Amino acid sequence: MATEQHSQEGVVKHRHRHEGPQKHIVVFIFSIVLTLIAFAAVAAGGVNPAFAVVLLLVMAVLQVFVQMGFWMHLKDRGHLIPIIFMIGGFFVAGTSIIMALYWVWWD
Amino acid sequence: MTTAHAEPANGTLPHEPEKATLEGRNKVLAFWLFLGGEAVLFGTLFATFLALRNQTNEGPSANELFHLPLVAAATFILLVSSLTSVFAIQAMHRGRVAQLRNWLLLTVLLGLGFLGLEIYEFAEYIRHENFGMTTSAFSSAFYTLVGFHGAHVAFGILWIAVLIGQLARKGLTVVTAPKIYVSAMYWHFIDVVWVFIFTVVYLLGKVG
Repeated sequence: MATEQHSQEGVVKHRHRHEGPQKHIVVFIFSIVLTLIAFAAVAAGGVNPAFAVVLLLVMAVLQVFVQMGFWMHLKDRGHLIPIIFMIGGFFVAGTSIIMALYWVWWD
Repeated sequence: MTTAHAEPANGTLPHEPEKATLEGRNKVLAFWLFLGGEAVLFGTLFATFLALRNQTNEGPSANELFHLPLVAAATFILLVSSLTSVFAIQAMHRGRVAQLRNWLLLTVLLGLGFLGLEIYEFAEYIRHENFGMTTSAFSSAFYTLVGFHGAHVAFGILWIAVLIGQLARKGLTVVTAPKIYVSAMYWHFIDVVWVFIFTVVYLLGKVG
């Protein structure tokens, strides 16, 4: 699967490796499991709120990380500039959120 | 060359047609810059929501309002649609135009399903819960954030639907492939934003 085959005819007919659906289905199942954990923790109730906040945020960040890595191909080669763009975007987004949480309600 | 359009996989279309031309590569790169900007846009909306989420002005609170089964269904639909758009791009890389079209169609249908649930949800809040745009700071922040995401879904549906039409007219070429690839990136990003919305808005709203 990882090899690049060339056809015997020697014409332009290249057979490049095509990634199969397997790893994307694994990412999908992983996302479903993380989502179920998050919903179950809230639906069950009785979970310590502070613990729930941390758990939910970890589930979300993990899911986003895996989806952006595999489904948006950020883990592949040649994606340094896109990663810098996204880190830049998330940095400003995170700064805004910290501002809203800790500055607006600072007493 | 006459059959080139009918069978693009037959050595006439490159392995990754979206990156075969400089224009295609530039489109993908520039779209990442756009998505970085989108992250900032949604980040500020999340920041506003987090700052105002407890200012209910004697209107309904998050805990009273939200029904988890509806949110779970919407989450599942959007997650599946993200997977179908992965499969669309895989079909594109294999040059299988019919499969590509079908996966895109399924993605659009799932997107419509998600949008339908969201419209139903908003209509319920407005009609039965007295929870309108101007009810409270919480309601304004909620409708702005979730509505902005819904508008992105609506735009994505229109965009992909137009691309399905273009695919039928022009076939899969190095011109149409980058457009399809970029629309799939957009769709994944919408799903990524929703992960944060169901976590921060709905689940954390239930936790308190």
